[in-house]
Amino acid sequence: MYRIRLHGRGGQGIKTGSRILGSAFFGAGFEVQDAPVYGAERRGAAMSAHVRAARTPIRERGVITRPDLVALVDETLLQVPAANVLLGVDAASVLLLQGNGDAETWRARLALSGTVVVLPAAGERAEAELGGARCAGAAARLAGVISRPQLIAAIAQELASLGPVATATTTAQALAAYDAVAPHAGVLRESRPAAATAFAAPEWIDLPLESARVAAPAIFAAATSVEVRTGLWRTMRPEIDYARCNRCAWICSTLCPDSAIRVRADRSPEIDLEHCKGCMICVSVCPPQAIRALPERAARARELAAAP
Amino acid sequence: MNPALRRMKDLPSTHLLGAGSAMCAGCGGLLALHEICDLLGARTVFVNAASCMTLLASYPFTPFRGSWLYTAMASAPAGAQGVRDALDILSERGRLPPEQDLTAVALTGDGAATGIGLSATAGAIDRGLDFIYLCYDNEGYGNTGQQSSPATPLGARTATSTGAHGHPASKMDLFAIWVAQRPAYAATVIGADPLDLARKIDRARALKGPRLIHALAPCPPGWSFDPAEGVEIGRLAVKTGIWPLKEYVDGRVVHTHVPHPRLPVEEYLKRQGRFRHLFEPGRDTRVLAQIQSQVDAYWEQVCA
Amino acid sequence: MRRLLTGNAAAAWGARLARADYVPAFPITPQTEIIELLAQWFGSGELRGRLTLLESEHSMLTAAAAAAATGVRVFTATSSQGLLYAMEMLYAVPGWRAPFVLVNVSRGLASPITLESDHNDVLAARDSGFLQFHCASCQEVVDSVLLAYRLAEDPRVRLPALVNLDGFHLSFTREPVDLPTAEAAAAFLPPFESQGIEFRAGRPVSQAVAVLGGSAYSYFRYETHLAAEQALQAHGAIAAEFAQRFGRRHDAVERYRSDDAEIAFFMIGAFATKAMDAVDRLREAGIAAGLVRPRLLRPYPAAALQRALAGKRAVAVIDQNLSVGKGGVLHGELASVLYGQPDAPLLASYIGGLGGRDISAGEFFQIARELQDAVLARRVPPPRLLYTAGELRQMRNLQAIAAGERGMPEARA
Ligand SMILES: Cc1ncc(C[n+]2csc(CCOP(=O)(O)OP(=O)(O)O)c2C)c(N)n1
Ligand code: SF4
Ligand code: SF4
Ligand code: SF4
Ligand SMILES: [Mg+2]
Repeated sequence: MYRIRLHGRGGQGIKTGSRILGSAFFGAGFEVQDAPVYGAERRGAAMSAHVRAARTPIRERGVITRPDLVALVDETLLQVPAANVLLGVDAASVLLLQGNGDAETWRARLALSGTVVVLPAAGERAEAELGGARCAGAAARLAGVISRPQLIAAIAQELASLGPVATATTTAQALAAYDAVAPHAGVLRESRPAAATAFAAPEWIDLPLESARVAAPAIFAAATSVEVRTGLWRTMRPEIDYARCNRCAWICSTLCPDSAIRVRADRSPEIDLEHCKGCMICVSVCPPQAIRALPERAARARELAAAP
Repeated sequence: MNPALRRMKDLPSTHLLGAGSAMCAGCGGLLALHEICDLLGARTVFVNAASCMTLLASYPFTPFRGSWLYTAMASAPAGAQGVRDALDILSERGRLPPEQDLTAVALTGDGAATGIGLSATAGAIDRGLDFIYLCYDNEGYGNTGQQSSPATPLGARTATSTGAHGHPASKMDLFAIWVAQRPAYAATVIGADPLDLARKIDRARALKGPRLIHALAPCPPGWSFDPAEGVEIGRLAVKTGIWPLKEYVDGRVVHTHVPHPRLPVEEYLKRQGRFRHLFEPGRDTRVLAQIQSQVDAYWEQVCA
Repeated sequence: MRRLLTGNAAAAWGARLARADYVPAFPITPQTEIIELLAQWFGSGELRGRLTLLESEHSMLTAAAAAAATGVRVFTATSSQGLLYAMEMLYAVPGWRAPFVLVNVSRGLASPITLESDHNDVLAARDSGFLQFHCASCQEVVDSVLLAYRLAEDPRVRLPALVNLDGFHLSFTREPVDLPTAEAAAAFLPPFESQGIEFRAGRPVSQAVAVLGGSAYSYFRYETHLAAEQALQAHGAIAAEFAQRFGRRHDAVERYRSDDAEIAFFMIGAFATKAMDAVDRLREAGIAAGLVRPRLLRPYPAAALQRALAGKRAVAVIDQNLSVGKGGVLHGELASVLYGQPDAPLLASYIGGLGGRDISAGEFFQIARELQDAVLARRVPPPRLLYTAGELRQMRNLQAIAAGERGMPEARA
């Protein structure tokens, strides 16, 4: 069985990608299971989708904990612990990563012993909305059992309701990815399920009775949400040009839905990048246009370069 | 009116609602809520009905500096009733120092406000419950993927109104339903006009009894627009007269902003994917005219 | 002081003696008298606090739990359709860990709509997280309300409690009730203690929030289960203290002449006293019969029931409820705790008393006879609905009228 996990953010087409891949396998004669896993979060937040394909009926269910392939649409998710991107990745797994840099550097950085394949990032927009489809295209090629026509048919089927324009763009992107990883065709292998003799016994405990105050879903503290780094949702970053900002004070700060712009004592605004979700409302409302939008990836690269 | 609220600069510059909540980037409901929280302060208990905002507080994270209680989709006003009654009882017994008292705020979406929760709301108004009802109106059942609610406007496409002409019915008038019961206060607001919103919250805060704050909440995924445009779309809702800013106080409805000249409704509609079918492939002149004439009729009656 | 009280009045007295601060209410037959009486007492000042009439039971339950979560003692009451209308909240609020007492006056559920009693309403709340007390007399109603508050508010428990009494047979029936004095009740039940679970400015709390993922969900859900199980132990001590103060024992399981019995009836609620009568008559006839009656249904007193029934030859579970497609709910529950016990009795299932239908003395005697036969045959009879040929004849007449065929010969068959 092929066990494939796609990771990305809400809005990057992860579910669509998993369905394209599922339909492509199905078209190639496989039994298939595909399913998204939603958290509470929204567009921009980490999510995953799971595809299984086998030549016999599939009886496994739920989250894939031993993946043969992890396809990562957005490498910034590696910094989001809750995304659990590398869960179960071992020497036999393949990591497909959409981004910059070369495979060896990533292997070293992530201390992986298995195969890493880098899918060069396309333009920001394609990545943002078609990341899932691109990863599906690449994964199809890595498996080596899905032909170009089968991939094209799967996309046509999954995007039928969105019309010919969307189908054409998606197909182009997925095929580009399919071609880009051609040197690695077939690197993805089917794996067998874990043997019943080789398992770690679960560390079951007897849940103790605890006081009602702590054993209820209640939070006895204020504003704990600031612990959540919603800044990691961002694909675009707002940047204030302080030379242009006329300290109109608070237009941007008031209209930021996420309370992510603080007003300093000198009345200049400051963006809280740990929490800014990148909606770009501040960019569009600043009267002197003192806030500009730049791709998060570029902003990060610049930061890395500047770091000592 | 609080004389301190004349210009944008008079608005609070520090924000009470914590960052890091699970709402979409650019959520118009969150925008209104954060502006409202700044003015209401932390001596509040938000009693929530099932909606997008239910996920604001998700264990162990909450953005609130005051309190919060999730109830169910239908009964947030009843939850507010229980809290208010209990606080009153404690206060009568001398067991609640005034500085520990709280304002109960029911926080629901439009679906709860105009549908499943309407009888609980009517009951609370009828009993004269001292509470604020904050309805953020994204014009559909947003949390479940934007199906049509009674608050969905004519012509909008939703997950359940997929026909050629979009949603076949007009938006239910929640403000009028409230006003018919003569509440202490009712107002429409929008996050995109923070000053108007602030003045209304300020007024509502000073009153006792049932008070409605009905906020139009542009919703990027539900209405299908780029999150960056949320404020602009909100402003257009006001400028086209689709979202009248008004308040009911002392038994009278007063418009706090009369758009003049009024922009054509198309300026608002064409910015949103949910109305795209009214323009592409051909213009749906019938529905567009219907929407415009409803807005025209409203303002004619206001200005008469 | 002993005086004649209906079950409804006894329930209201329970709330009064518990000094309930707050009563959210909604009328429904046969419960309405309870809230009318309480409204009267709040009006006259005999009770301090307030009664708020909500617009539905769903809202009523929400307000009840919200007020309890704000730190006051809450009492509320409903019945049948009302209990089911509130069902969403019934399952939601135990997790808030804000205790209060809900009285349910049992009444059969639609369809067909009826006003008379059976236990399907309260059993629909079986798995909600409410502790459940079942009363067999008006005395037990007032006592159970006090016991329910003590148990629900116990710091180790902190779950809401439901006290059930049968419509008509208790709700509208006057019996002598020994009412505790206000002082004695107050000594038994101290003032409500919020234990810091309350809403106050300056002490922010977000209650009843969402969770992400099955692990957090499992933890919180199972903690309510552990708390309910703990309530069983706590109940033992509280019932003992109650007995000491008031001279009335209300153990989790009542055993009536069952210790040396060979066969036993097993039932809950008001008709259990009819079973007691039958036991006496059977004993007079030389048959070693007894009655075992759980007063607490949640937490389920499994060990006490196993002890009470160990060594009995045969037990008849008389269910005044019907799990459609399965049969009697109590029968299934009891079987699950007796299964595999070394000296478990034969277990027979009878459905009776649906929608207020009487269970006659003769029927109890016949059930005893069938149990004796079962012991000899070492086999229980199949489940039986208590229903006679005469009843069916009457039904036929009604059906003939309903069909516009009054007098048709086959309808009389
Ligand atoms: C009794 C009940 N029915 C259905 C639901 C599912 N549900 C959760 S949120 C929601 C939509 C709420 O719509 P609205 O009030 O407009 O708030 P929004 O989601 O748009 O923020 C629905 C239908 C529920 N939680 N409870
Ligand atoms: S982009 Fe601007 S408005 Fe949007 S979250 Fe970030 S700081 Fe706030
Ligand atoms: S809106 Fe623009 S000008 Fe005003 S404070 Fe923000 S950045 Fe400065
Ligand atoms: S769906 Fe709409 S209302 Fe709901 S969180 Fe997202 S933007 Fe806000
Ligand atoms: Mg909505």
